[in-house]
Amino acid sequence: MAPLLSMNRISKRRPDKAREWLFDDITAAIDKGERVALLGASGTGKSTLLRIAALLEPIDDGELHLEGIAQISFKPEHWRKKISYVAQAPVMLAGTVEQNLRTASELHGTLFDEPLARRCMAEAELGHLDWKKPAAELSGGEKQRTALVRSLLLRPAMLLLDETTSSLDPTSKEAVEHMLNRWAEREGTAMAWITHDMEQSRSVSDQIWFMGDGKLLERGDTKAFFQGPSTEQARRFIQKPIEREAGGNE
Amino acid sequence: MSNLALVSTLVFVAITAFLSIRKKLGLEKDILIGTVRSALQLLFIGYVLHFVFDTRNPVFIVLILLSMIGIAAWNAGSRAREIRGIRLRIAITLACTEGLTMALLLGFSIIEPTPQYIIPVSGIVIGSSMIVAGIYLNQMKRELEASRGEVETLLALGGTAKQAIQGAVKRSVRSSMIPTIDGMKTVGLVQLPGMMTGMIVAGADPIEAVRYQMLIMFVLASSAALTAILLSQISYRLWFTKDVRLVQSPKQDTKS
Repeated sequence: MAPLLSMNRISKRRPDKAREWLFDDITAAIDKGERVALLGASGTGKSTLLRIAALLEPIDDGELHLEGIAQISFKPEHWRKKISYVAQAPVMLAGTVEQNLRTASELHGTLFDEPLARRCMAEAELGHLDWKKPAAELSGGEKQRTALVRSLLLRPAMLLLDETTSSLDPTSKEAVEHMLNRWAEREGTAMAWITHDMEQSRSVSDQIWFMGDGKLLERGDTKAFFQGPSTEQARRFIQKPIEREAGGNE
Repeated sequence: MSNLALVSTLVFVAITAFLSIRKKLGLEKDILIGTVRSALQLLFIGYVLHFVFDTRNPVFIVLILLSMIGIAAWNAGSRAREIRGIRLRIAITLACTEGLTMALLLGFSIIEPTPQYIIPVSGIVIGSSMIVAGIYLNQMKRELEASRGEVETLLALGGTAKQAIQGAVKRSVRSSMIPTIDGMKTVGLVQLPGMMTGMIVAGADPIEAVRYQMLIMFVLASSAALTAILLSQISYRLWFTKDVRLVQSPKQDTKS
């Protein structure tokens, strides 16, 4: 059976220096329900790779396939409904929390599953939140979790999570990790996480993709990666938590 | 107006040039070009209108209207020249606004079907619509800078181009219509419009001049709405690439 998402020889030039590659020749695939943590130093193009997978960024070379069907055969909105990107900096749409949560059902003319939305909000420790409150008034952490639940309610086949817990305190972060793990189990949703938190990458992934030097240097089982990465770059990366945590969105 | 009086109007140009030299504004060259161009352009259109009014041939009326639309579309399109195909969309919009407005004005016998009415009123409609189109485009550029995150969020949730951009479009349509609507609220109290002033100066009864001005104000309101809404509908897709990503941040047009 064809993988859920496959990337074949994806290359992307630097936006500032068009002659140089940000990364090139990236080939990888994710199966239904698989959870991948995408690791690498700042500026290696992790966010760009996820945005490419969500068709929010153009590629300079290569091909994407969804369940074996070339991306070109899809209408972009159909593709994005299946593979949805959740940005690191959450954007609240105009209106209340409830209007934000209803976005996916209103875009696609589907019934709003309120019990599911309430359950997700409670699991994300936002059960106390007044849904009538203007979304713009939420705190950074509340916005990040509301944006995440808003994307979950789309029920995509795959979620692309760009440092989705970066504004959260440890308790909320753990709650979100549990919620997403349960969601993946229940719904069979594949997930690709960008994280700079090694503990998190261990607990939320079955596979690690490690990017460096403009390549996808490693791709393999999470346990095996942390027990003994096969490249020097990955070894150094695991051992230098301070530099890593200083890294931001690229 | 006598020739001597006409020549005397240059005193106002002299005041402008004098102030520019005195205050070192460096605008003398532009003032000179502006003076010569406005005089030549107005004289040219004066002779053209004289000719068209005499011949009363509808072909000439259509030619004049088309050239007005072409120039207006070119000018308003320069607000967003990096958006491919925008000038054609503006031209289509202006042609539709002008066509519908004229059809109603002539259909209801509000104005007479003569070049003396059709051409000046069309000039006002097309000129005002050009400004509305320019404001709309400028506002859209600002919106897509400020609301890029909103548009991308909706795209990432599987929204179509139309769904993703509709908030920005609605806000820009509103912004482009506000000056016309505000103008309706203060006309006669703050400013005496050019058409009415011109008629009064030319000897018309002020009440008759006001009746025509009311017509113009209402026509301008509807043409602003038609232009903004039509242009937004036929151009929203141009802000996206073929595969429905927002076009890269167009540079802000700083011209007002």
